[in-house]
Amino acid sequence: MLQLQPNNLLIHTTLTERLDPAAVPLAIDRIVTDYDFTTYHISNLENKSQILVSMSIKCFPDLRKYGVDGVMAREYGAYVTTPEAGYDVSLLLDLETTSALSDAVRAELVEKVSYFKRNAMAAAFERAFERFDVLSQESVAKQVDLYAPENTSDEEILVLNYRDDEQIFIRPSFDRVTVIFSTIFKDETDKIFGKVFLQEFVDARKRAVQNAPQVLYSHKEPPLELSRLGVKQEENKGFITFVLFPRHLAPTRRENCITHIQFFRNYFHYHIKCSKAYMHSRMRFRVSEFLKVLNRAKPENLEVERKTATGRRFEH
Amino acid sequence: MGSSLTAAICLEDFASQVAERHNRPEIEAGESPELLLNNMTISRNDNEKVFIEPSVNSIRVSIKIKQADDIEEILVHKFTRFLTGRAENFFILRRVPIKGYDISFLITNFHTEQMLKHKLVDFIIEFMEDVDREISEIKLFLNARARFVAEAYLTPFD
Repeated sequence: MLQLQPNNLLIHTTLTERLDPAAVPLAIDRIVTDYDFTTYHISNLENKSQILVSMSIKCFPDLRKYGVDGVMAREYGAYVTTPEAGYDVSLLLDLETTSALSDAVRAELVEKVSYFKRNAMAAAFERAFERFDVLSQESVAKQVDLYAPENTSDEEILVLNYRDDEQIFIRPSFDRVTVIFSTIFKDETDKIFGKVFLQEFVDARKRAVQNAPQVLYSHKEPPLELSRLGVKQEENKGFITFVLFPRHLAPTRRENCITHIQFFRNYFHYHIKCSKAYMHSRMRFRVSEFLKVLNRAKPENLEVERKTATGRRFEH
Repeated sequence: MGSSLTAAICLEDFASQVAERHNRPEIEAGESPELLLNNMTISRNDNEKVFIEPSVNSIRVSIKIKQADDIEEILVHKFTRFLTGRAENFFILRRVPIKGYDISFLITNFHTEQMLKHKLVDFIIEFMEDVDREISEIKLFLNARARFVAEAYLTPFD
């Protein structure tokens, strides 16, 4: 499994099962977790035919600032309902109405709900990309010299506190959108592995995938773009900058780009963990090999007591 | 290296002359200087060396493994921790390496009585070769994996 799936498989299977018109409505109460401390709660509302899907996201207050409610209304329309206590956003699926839908439409609905987190997180990115559209049009209208030093320092930087102490910063500008991740490495090994991986991210563009976004990383020191926000320098903290150029922001690619970039942290840490696991299993193997070599040093036990066929011992 | 080890592992049972009814590896106790023999360092360079401390009934062999950068450093650290954590299975492995080295073996007369001497020497030599190879292989693998992962992530943007 190289790429992480942006949707939630558990939600997908649960809902596919439940929304099947042939299935008998059953009581359901499940808590499902996702990346970055996201929690879903699938439960019945008043009776078994009403399924409530609620989600709590750590950075929801930030997302609300960037218009997540609008995105939710656009994606889920009439299914959005008042949020369940303790959760940020809820969808209400009524089996009686969903069973009237055709199979294809129902499958699409389930698919959409499984992208719940992705769509919520997309709000901030969409906001930034829209702002990019506006700015780029303005710059064309004003005929800004592309090589002039940038003068957009008062442009708002969108901040998502998606985990404790870890943030995503999105900064739109007239010719690019900069996405900066700050991430924490829990231990020394993670940090060094992270460095190796990030170096390859930086180099990949030079070598193989020329059209990819530019990647920059800095260890400890926050990039200059964030100086205004007063982001503090910290041990164990790394900053990874993605520079998205207009070609990545073309309307046809936009959705894909949003999906992909918001999973960067998960993808990155997931692969660090994978390599660690591989390393451990390899070392385990090597240690057992060494043990075998060492045991060879022991002389084999030849002094087996010899007995006659009748069971009597030899006497010396 | 092989011949110096063979020469050094000429050990005999020697009861402690300081405390009665004790029998301990003199190299560790270090109470009777007359029982210790000359130390020896065999080194390829500053980063790769072997330190042999012989005595009448025990010998300590310490190895410093090559560490060129911080990736190798962390790999060596992890690896030696793996080994020392399983020290009781290894009989001759010392739980804590002596200062300045990554891993130490302590071979006493009891070990040589139980095991064949030339096989022990073989083991230590094979160990040194394998550790170096293993570390560099893991490092290469890590780089290759990182490259692959990075490319796989960046390609879909296109």
